[in-house]
Amino acid sequence: MKKVITGDHAVAIGAKLSRADVVPAYPITPQTLIIEHIADFVNDGEMDAKFLTMESEHSVMSAAAAASAAGARVFTATSSQGLAFMYEMLYATAPLRLPVVMVNANRTLTAPPGIWCEYNDSMGVRDSGWLQVYVEDNQEALDMVIQSYRIAEDKRVLLPVMPCIDGFVLTHTVEPVEVPQQQDVDSFLPPYTPDIILDPERPAMIGTLMPAEYIMEMRRQTADAFESAKKVIQEVNDEFAKKLGRNYGGMIDTYRMEDAEAALITIGTVTSTSREVVDDLRKAGKKVGIVKLRFFRPFPSEELRKVLSGVSAVGVFDRSISYHGGGPAYNEVRSTLYGLMIPVINHLAGIGGRDVTKEQIVKMFDLTLKAAKGEKVKEIYWHNTRGETV
Amino acid sequence: MFEVRFHGRGGQGAVMAAQTLAEAAVIEGNYAVAFPFFGAERRGAPVLAFTRIDAKKIYSKTQVYAPDCVVVLDDSLLDTIDVVAGLKPDGMVVINSKEKPQDIDLGKEIKTAAVDATSVALEILKAPITNTAILGAFAKAAGLIRIESLEEAIKRRFGEKLGEKVGERNAMAARTAYEKTVIGKSKGIKKLESRKQWLPAYQELPVGGALFEGKTEAGLIGPGSFIENKVSGWATFRPLRDKEKCTMCLLCWFYCPEGTIVRISDRGDLMTNYDYCKGCGICANECPVDAIKMVRARV
Repeated sequence: MKKVITGDHAVAIGAKLSRADVVPAYPITPQTLIIEHIADFVNDGEMDAKFLTMESEHSVMSAAAAASAAGARVFTATSSQGLAFMYEMLYATAPLRLPVVMVNANRTLTAPPGIWCEYNDSMGVRDSGWLQVYVEDNQEALDMVIQSYRIAEDKRVLLPVMPCIDGFVLTHTVEPVEVPQQQDVDSFLPPYTPDIILDPERPAMIGTLMPAEYIMEMRRQTADAFESAKKVIQEVNDEFAKKLGRNYGGMIDTYRMEDAEAALITIGTVTSTSREVVDDLRKAGKKVGIVKLRFFRPFPSEELRKVLSGVSAVGVFDRSISYHGGGPAYNEVRSTLYGLMIPVINHLAGIGGRDVTKEQIVKMFDLTLKAAKGEKVKEIYWHNTRGETV
Repeated sequence: MFEVRFHGRGGQGAVMAAQTLAEAAVIEGNYAVAFPFFGAERRGAPVLAFTRIDAKKIYSKTQVYAPDCVVVLDDSLLDTIDVVAGLKPDGMVVINSKEKPQDIDLGKEIKTAAVDATSVALEILKAPITNTAILGAFAKAAGLIRIESLEEAIKRRFGEKLGEKVGERNAMAARTAYEKTVIGKSKGIKKLESRKQWLPAYQELPVGGALFEGKTEAGLIGPGSFIENKVSGWATFRPLRDKEKCTMCLLCWFYCPEGTIVRISDRGDLMTNYDYCKGCGICANECPVDAIKMVRARV
């Protein structure tokens, strides 16, 4: 059934269709609509979940981890300052292997205070042990909530997953979304059956103090789960495509990369706009394509090396800055392509929610093509930034 | 470079001892570092502290694995820890013990200095904090630091923290122990063994480190495994209850932080499980009718 809904509404429906048992929540713009929709679902008897209004995001994630340890399927959502306030508990959830799913509505992290899209909130927790996936439209937002549970709860993974959706550009934008049938979701996503849960009938210890004799092994184990996750993400993507009819590519997606000389690596909704830009540029005879960075953790190193091995230059879009030269995606991509001798350029744009226009994306491709032809270009470009020349 | 490893229990002042020794070495114109290593610190739990002394700046930030001297603040540690592990062949042990060196079994015959630091501390400091007394023994046995430098270091560190009087009393404890220290050679009959540890490879570690009740070669793991962790050896004192005075108000039962006081309901009586009593004395302190006395646990 097609519905014309916001990204927040789509995400809420995703949580309902996934039959989340517990939803601890604290509202924050632009995530608020997610929580409000879920509150309605629970109130109207459409969703059989325990809805907990907590006193802070720190408590939200504490409750989420605890409910997950007790065997519940847990959903929550946050944004920006809320995510920052959870910081401590994010690090508690992952190594304890609690498969919580939390949507982050990307929003600039103060200062200066703002409510619009930037990735400096979720990128700041990229090493907390959460899987992260960035989506480009409301359909993908809904579908990735469902897929996230399959990935998170897989016994080879058992890690929390954070689908990230662009604040306002998705959260508050309506577009048609195909809402899957409950029975189709049920056949794709079986109930959560953890091996160890906190149950007084069979006492277990989870998250107790560990001296140095164990923590290296804990980290090694979690790192291993990230490796396994790559395979699981692909399997889940393929099965979802078969059962529900939409294929997102898995770790990455590509667009018109067949004979591309220059590739632009995109994240989130800029991918969507860039598809139209690529079509225009291709019409003008320019050999360009897009690689959509879907998962940022685990990072798709093997996939990128494979798909980029034939290009002459790579541009990387970043919606946040890492303060030591370029954005996080740029630095990861450069590290991934080490040894391939392909020039990599960083395109910083859209920070603080500034609109990323087609003209800016054309510029990103032009500069990347220049590099592909061996012309001298800068390493890092601040697009549409007063005082900078691009 | 001279390296010292201190074995003590939380509350005995091993860390302060290591720091004070470093300060004494610095007073004599050396360079010295001191640092602790402990787990979830609790009064009575085994702790380690280290001191390194050299004529030039010390860059090494690792723990000490081949000490020149081992200082043992509590001889009950010999039951669960191989205190001489890694000790250099010509190294020595300074130990708090009522016994003479030749009667102390350290698993090998080695130069040993013994002093009853607990009695010295109880007499002079009125508390079983043995760190300054054992440092006196160290000064005598090692011949590395003069007792005067040690007294000065003690006065500075303890005086700064706890007042001039406490500093002077602690210096006196060191001097008294210095004079009482007996130097000889230990016995080497039994083999000292540290308690086994469960050390799984990362592939064997349960997912997320979550544990059910379980048994390994090194003992129990998971919920309830602390039943194996008997702590009676930690106690310097233990509570003795006078049944005549006791009114069964249950304040001691309520306050015991370890739950070692058990109600025997059919007799309307109380029992202390000494296996798990660390001798903290809270029960005696809380008893409103003075029915509980703390007495020396080991004599």
